[in-house]
Amino acid sequence: MLRIEKLTKSFGDFVAVDSLDLNINKGDLFGFLGPNGAGKTTTIKMITGLYSPTSGSISINGVNAFENPIESKMKIGYIPDQPFLYDKLTGMEFLYFSGGLYNLSKSYLKNKIEALVEDLKIQEWLYKRTEEYSQGMRQRITIASAFLHDPELIVIDEPMVGLDPQSAFIIKNTLKQKVSEGITVLMSTHSLNVVEEICNRVGIIMKGKLIFDNSIEELHRLKEEKNNNLEQLFIQLTSEYESDHSHS
Amino acid sequence: MNQIILILKYKLITFFKISSSFTFESLFKNLGSFIVYGAFALGSFVFAQRVIGYLLVNMRLGDFLLHEFISMILFIFFISINVGNIIVSYSTLFKSEEVAYLLTKPIFPTKIFVIKFLDNFFYSSSTLLLILFAVLAGYSVYFDLSLLEFISLIGLNFFPFMFSAASLGVIILMIILKLAERFGVKKILYTIVGGYLTIVFLFFNISSPVDLVNEVFKHYPNVNEYFGNLIPPEMKFLPNYWLSRSLYWISKGEINESIKFFAIQCGVSVFLFSLAVYLGHKWYQKSWFVSLKLRSKMRKMRELDGTKSILTKSFFLSPFNDSLIKKDFLLFIREPSQIVHFIVLMVLIFVFMFSISGVALIAGSNVYLQSIIYLILFIFNALLISTLSLRFVFPLISLEGLASWKIRSAPVGLSKYIRAKLLPFFLIILFISELLAFFTSRDFSINLIFVNILVNFFITTSLVALNFGMGGLFSVYREKNPIRIASSQGASLTFLLCMIYMLFVLIFLFIPVSNYFYSLMINKIESYSYFTSPVIVIILISIVITGLFYQVGYTSLKKDF
Repeated sequence: MLRIEKLTKSFGDFVAVDSLDLNINKGDLFGFLGPNGAGKTTTIKMITGLYSPTSGSISINGVNAFENPIESKMKIGYIPDQPFLYDKLTGMEFLYFSGGLYNLSKSYLKNKIEALVEDLKIQEWLYKRTEEYSQGMRQRITIASAFLHDPELIVIDEPMVGLDPQSAFIIKNTLKQKVSEGITVLMSTHSLNVVEEICNRVGIIMKGKLIFDNSIEELHRLKEEKNNNLEQLFIQLTSEYESDHSHS
Repeated sequence: MNQIILILKYKLITFFKISSSFTFESLFKNLGSFIVYGAFALGSFVFAQRVIGYLLVNMRLGDFLLHEFISMILFIFFISINVGNIIVSYSTLFKSEEVAYLLTKPIFPTKIFVIKFLDNFFYSSSTLLLILFAVLAGYSVYFDLSLLEFISLIGLNFFPFMFSAASLGVIILMIILKLAERFGVKKILYTIVGGYLTIVFLFFNISSPVDLVNEVFKHYPNVNEYFGNLIPPEMKFLPNYWLSRSLYWISKGEINESIKFFAIQCGVSVFLFSLAVYLGHKWYQKSWFVSLKLRSKMRKMRELDGTKSILTKSFFLSPFNDSLIKKDFLLFIREPSQIVHFIVLMVLIFVFMFSISGVALIAGSNVYLQSIIYLILFIFNALLISTLSLRFVFPLISLEGLASWKIRSAPVGLSKYIRAKLLPFFLIILFISELLAFFTSRDFSINLIFVNILVNFFITTSLVALNFGMGGLFSVYREKNPIRIASSQGASLTFLLCMIYMLFVLIFLFIPVSNYFYSLMINKIESYSYFTSPVIVIILISIVITGLFYQVGYTSLKKDF
């Protein structure tokens, strides 16, 4: 579903993503882990068309994201880490606006929004301007807007930051539901518990390179082998790479 | 006092740190700014001398009329700074996150009030000060004023004049908030807007430029005399009168006559600033809470209307165009500074259109006067269009703000996006521009009206494209206040580029317009052949500017977000 080949992004001398290769299959819920500044958000921004790559390619279900950006964006639902919204629009207006960007008709949107409002429990906030929303509400409205066009790939950046338990619960359930419907999810996060709870595959990125890419079962096996918890294992893997990298 | 200095110091440090981070792009921008600012200041300096010379020597307008016209322009300046400050001050004093942060610190609210007021004044008036400085330098050189006289004019007259306008603005704002608590926002706002309209209407009614010119020209050729009796007594209480009078007397070498106007100007400025600080001390913190209460009241009212949004209704446009245009429309009408500024500008444009009625007839058979009136009206129209473009088109890309991730990650072609975003603004500005072109040249021949309308079309296209492109190049996604975006460094640079372009158009039209009126007077023939080549050149250059700046805007939207 998502194929990334030799993807590189440099900002001047700084290489944020370094020749990254990654394949994510249809129906995977891929947890994308890594310390701050490892290159997670940069990779996501290239997938969603917000950054242009220095080199390499990305294809979404066979569509090259850089050669056919319109077609590839049609397949993606993106939920950023900071869900900035148009402050002066209400949640409902934002959803209709978002649907329009994907050329969806008003009648289709009406039914779709009704269903999403129910799933994400956003009814009582729909007619308030988004400037009044909490982080959790912003996140839920953003998620609803990303699902309007039934994307094949959901790209979600740090979904649990600043969320109350109720919002976190709703979001986790929604993602699991989407995966059960055959949708692919790429989720960048710092929350190891969430990865353990809902992902079936895990990748760890460090200094722009993928240093671990395997199933959640393999991660559990490693964890038990080294008699660690997931947090310790994560720190061990990244530290090992850090020290190997600095030695070389 | 130490806290005020500390905060101002860190504001300056932040400003210079942002400006001094070295990249080739910032070097290019700063070098470009420096060249354009320098060239513009020099151009304004030379232009002021030439215009004064032309009006006094060629047109024999006389010192008195010249200074009366200066007084009228200064009145418009005063009102613009004043109204601008009411709107900007509301955003910065009552809605800014910085104020909310500072209010949580052990700082006396009066100090916050003073800091934000000074911040507003210097931030939004810097370009105006530069223009005034250059024009006044040209004026001073023309009238052979000493350096001391020039510095006194700037420091003791122009600066207090602008400061009075800003102080009065913030005083009115405090009174609005105080009264709004008791009588409701709408009633007070309508009263204030009505009050301003009445003032502008009365000003142009009482000091009609047409009547003034007719009265002075009855004494022709003795137009250099002082016709103080023609100045209505009501005008003598206005800051623009004190300023133009001191200019008049100082240009005549009678500094003693000027000193009393210097003293009044400074005295009033100190009084108004003190009054603003006093009201800030008494009311600012309470008003801050009042503004919170008013906003919460308005939120409740808005929620009741939430179900009727136009975004949910079908329209004849494609879903993409429909959603983008309606979104921009809603964001525009829901941002008070946008809608209030738009109404104020529209009022000024209509006042201008009706107040110049019959002005072309003043010239009679004087060919110089006819051509200069035609060109002045023409350039005034262009200036209004430039102001509209700067105020509403320049901030377009920045105002998408941090929420533009939604559009940038959506399957939207950039050209299609720019078209949907720019076209409504372009059409509205074009309509206003052509309306102005028609109304201001309607006393001239039909063919001259056509030339005006044709050239105006290309000027509007160029100015809109220029502001759009530069707005993209200098986009600031974190700034939500459209007025601050439209008075930023990039906006000032854009305004100067617009002025250079308009000057270029003026230069190209000057000779054909003069020749046209000359031929009409001498040969009694209306010949349009004079216009062909210059108009073609203007059209070609305008097309190049439009294409170039469209591309600049397009490229800026492709940058990493």
